[in-house]
Amino acid sequence: MSEEMKPDLTHGEPAATRATTPMWLFVLLLALLFLGGVYFDHHSGWFSAKVYAPYTSAEEVEQYQPRSGAAAMRAHGKQVYEMVCGVCHGNDGLGKPGQAPPLAGSEWVNTKGDNRLIHIPLEGLSGPITVKGQEMSFPSPMAAMGAALSDADLAAVLSYIRSAWGNQAGAVTPEEVKAVRAAIGAHPQPLTAEQLQTMPE
Amino acid sequence: MNRTEHFPADGRGTAAAPAPAPAEISPSEMEASCRMPLLALFGGAALALVAGLALAVTASLTFHAPQLFADHPWLTYGRAQAAANDLLLYGFCIPAGLGVMLWIFVRLSGAELYLWLAAFIGANLWHLGVLVGTLAVLIGDSTGFAWLEFPRGGSVLLWAAFWLIAVSAAATFGARQNRELYPSHWFLLAALFWFPWIDATANLFLITPHPVRGVAQAVIDWWFANNLVFVWLALVGLGAAFYFLPKLSGRPLHSHFLALFACWTLMLFGAGCGIPQGAPVPAWMPAASALAAVLLMVPLAAVAVITWKTVRGSTAICKGGPLSYIKLGTALFLLSGLMLVAEACPQISRVVEFTWFGPAQTQLQILGFFVIVMCGAIYELLPRVTGVEWPFPKFIRLQYWLFLCGVALTVLLLAAGGVEQGWKLRNAATPFADSVAAALPFLRAETVGLLLVLIGALLFAANIFAMTLRWKLALLKSALAAVKTPLQTAEVES
Amino acid sequence: MKTGFRVFLAVILTLGLSWLTFVVAPAVQLGRAKLEPVLNSSDTWPIQPSGDAALGLQVYRANGCAACHTTQVRQEGVACEVVLTDAGNNPAAVSNLLSTLKLSGLTKEQADAVAARIAAAGGKTETHIVPTGADIARGWGVRGSVAADYLYDAPVPLGNLRAGPDLANVGLREPDLNWQLLHLYAPQAVVSNSAMPPFRYLFRVQKINGTTSPDALRLPKNFAPPAGYEVVPTPAARELAAYLLSLKADAPLYEAPFTPAIAKP
Repeated sequence: MSEEMKPDLTHGEPAATRATTPMWLFVLLLALLFLGGVYFDHHSGWFSAKVYAPYTSAEEVEQYQPRSGAAAMRAHGKQVYEMVCGVCHGNDGLGKPGQAPPLAGSEWVNTKGDNRLIHIPLEGLSGPITVKGQEMSFPSPMAAMGAALSDADLAAVLSYIRSAWGNQAGAVTPEEVKAVRAAIGAHPQPLTAEQLQTMPE
Repeated sequence: MNRTEHFPADGRGTAAAPAPAPAEISPSEMEASCRMPLLALFGGAALALVAGLALAVTASLTFHAPQLFADHPWLTYGRAQAAANDLLLYGFCIPAGLGVMLWIFVRLSGAELYLWLAAFIGANLWHLGVLVGTLAVLIGDSTGFAWLEFPRGGSVLLWAAFWLIAVSAAATFGARQNRELYPSHWFLLAALFWFPWIDATANLFLITPHPVRGVAQAVIDWWFANNLVFVWLALVGLGAAFYFLPKLSGRPLHSHFLALFACWTLMLFGAGCGIPQGAPVPAWMPAASALAAVLLMVPLAAVAVITWKTVRGSTAICKGGPLSYIKLGTALFLLSGLMLVAEACPQISRVVEFTWFGPAQTQLQILGFFVIVMCGAIYELLPRVTGVEWPFPKFIRLQYWLFLCGVALTVLLLAAGGVEQGWKLRNAATPFADSVAAALPFLRAETVGLLLVLIGALLFAANIFAMTLRWKLALLKSALAAVKTPLQTAEVES
Repeated sequence: MKTGFRVFLAVILTLGLSWLTFVVAPAVQLGRAKLEPVLNSSDTWPIQPSGDAALGLQVYRANGCAACHTTQVRQEGVACEVVLTDAGNNPAAVSNLLSTLKLSGLTKEQADAVAARIAAAGGKTETHIVPTGADIARGWGVRGSVAADYLYDAPVPLGNLRAGPDLANVGLREPDLNWQLLHLYAPQAVVSNSAMPPFRYLFRVQKINGTTSPDALRLPKNFAPPAGYEVVPTPAARELAAYLLSLKADAPLYEAPFTPAIAKP
């Protein structure tokens, strides 16, 4: 049939030619698919829920985790403090009258060295003590609360105490705790304030 | 036996003679069947266009005079801008798109509009839903999700209205005699299936008493916004453009297979854009969106080739008529798509994310592409449907130039302002106030541009309402004439 | 696509793929997220807002604050910084070495190499992880925002335009409730070139009944009401201010690691 005799099914509506799609469009599609695929491979973290920009892979996120350091130790120390010491000394370090003296701003905490301080939780403390110019006495002595803690935990707690609530003293290392523990030996007696003062800071 | 008896009068060969065509209705009857739904859809849409643009102008005044609406909660920028956006999209774009879709289905099917009453009721229900939703946003009851601010009451009305119109469209599509699909069929039919899915998903995942938790809400909202504002408007706008461009320029569409390629790639890649590059979500989501956006260049290139090859060499005169509108709208679609692709490139998004570049792109898509294509289509089809000529034909050309200048001012300058703002934000030493001050002159241009577009919209609404009035007066006249005509004696006696 | 049914199938395929990727997968991956543990701490993240702060998010939503403000910090990179903690037995050698080395803006491999060199000289170091980016340099946050920050938010107020500054950490930048209330009533009173519209309708100007009420705003002269009147916040203003004060995103998480500054109690 010739063109004129073909039935006009479109009734005057627009018609489309049957020209083929140009090849360059397919080439463009494939090229962009490839480039896009490479981009996705490098930047997506492959559907991991833990990879956020700018990290590009789960390994990179793991690599950039902050490893233990002073900040980590203080954070851990806060946790341990609130479990073990905060009951009596208060989570705010202000102490509780009739129970425990304050640690915030205390000259016993803010010493230059930390030897004296480490002895207190390892041996306990009994009798009256003067803190911040105020004489305080307590019905029951402090037990050796730190004796059951590991070196790392006790170092963390003491580091936290020395940097919290406005205290600005240096951190305590687990090695120092270990050395003091070794020097004390087994079954120590609770210290008194006078005994503490004879110790080197 | 006369040999001519074997050959039907139109010259078809007996060997390939098709079954005798069913009684065809005349084109004017076809068009007349869509009168009521289309006038309802377009009338409400024109009102919403004017109201939305007026609200947008009002909202943009906040940046020039912050004290203006300090005591008026319903005009505060956050509410007014959201309401303006929704009025433009839900109030104008979707009803106008559905109306043009219905008419194109009628023409391509060669049949009258089926279930026109459903479409008519749906049109009115849709406009009611938009009204309820917009008022809710203005009094502070918005959902907080971009492009989905209508609370449940409005959404339910819109949902019901859409289904009513959709059944009418589907029935009309099914009644077609020519079983071969024309490219516009694919685009418009795809849009008919697209909207219910994305709307249902967004409403069921986000606007329920127990929405999905956390930032997944933002991801679904971005997905919905992209699929509605970019993909759905592109499907309907291109479906209309691929119908009107060949028809008005007198040349065939180039080509069937290229349009098929464009349709598939648009649906495949367009649906994946939308997740911004700096989003607080796992990295694979913005990366997947960037991949989809880069691939979007393929359908954009295909649409460019189709448009160029279809209108090139056409001898039709445009002169600010419907063909000019469609050509301008399609060109602006390509620009809007390119802006979307640019926004998704990480190096560019680092500068333009969170700046006025994003709103400029959505304005280009809505005002520059869709509103202009729809106005062109409506200017072409409504006289055929109502049988009445446009009351103010000079407005058509005037509106074209107002839209062109208004959109250029609004979008181009706003986009430039966004880039300027972005550069200032990158430099931490530059105070934040400097980035805001840098964008201010461009915002003034945006307000002026929106005003121009608003005046154009007023002309459009004037034309539609005057035409509706004329048609109703003509109806009244013919009804009165029928009343006054003396009845035949036979009818009276029996 | 030769029939309407095939068009339907094409939509199912394309939109379905997108729906699975961007709706179902995020809903499953993020929508069922639980509280995240904060690095090196027993705390979890995020902190659930309560009271006025929880209601304030709805005031934020109702007034469309997200139209001008974002609440997300972008992070563009990460750098390592090597910090000396112990000079060891030979402080002079260590400090000589330090003066020749680049200690900040390093990648992890470079930082490890520097730390090894200092350790070889007898010093002890610690590597700090420092997020970088324009938002972070501007002081809008210490790390990029991640999904865990928004677990309790409904709707999530991310925002997509910065006509105003980012608010992800505004509770850390401006922690004073009165400042927030004053800023809402008259932004130009606290930030002279602010482009933010005043939200006077969130406040009530009432006649002073004997003595001024305790929550009356202390306004500068050109913003103050006429004599005998005071400006009092409505509950909505109070809730919004409380919500803004609760906006903080400074906890280090596995997916957003960084070394915090000295931990405050």
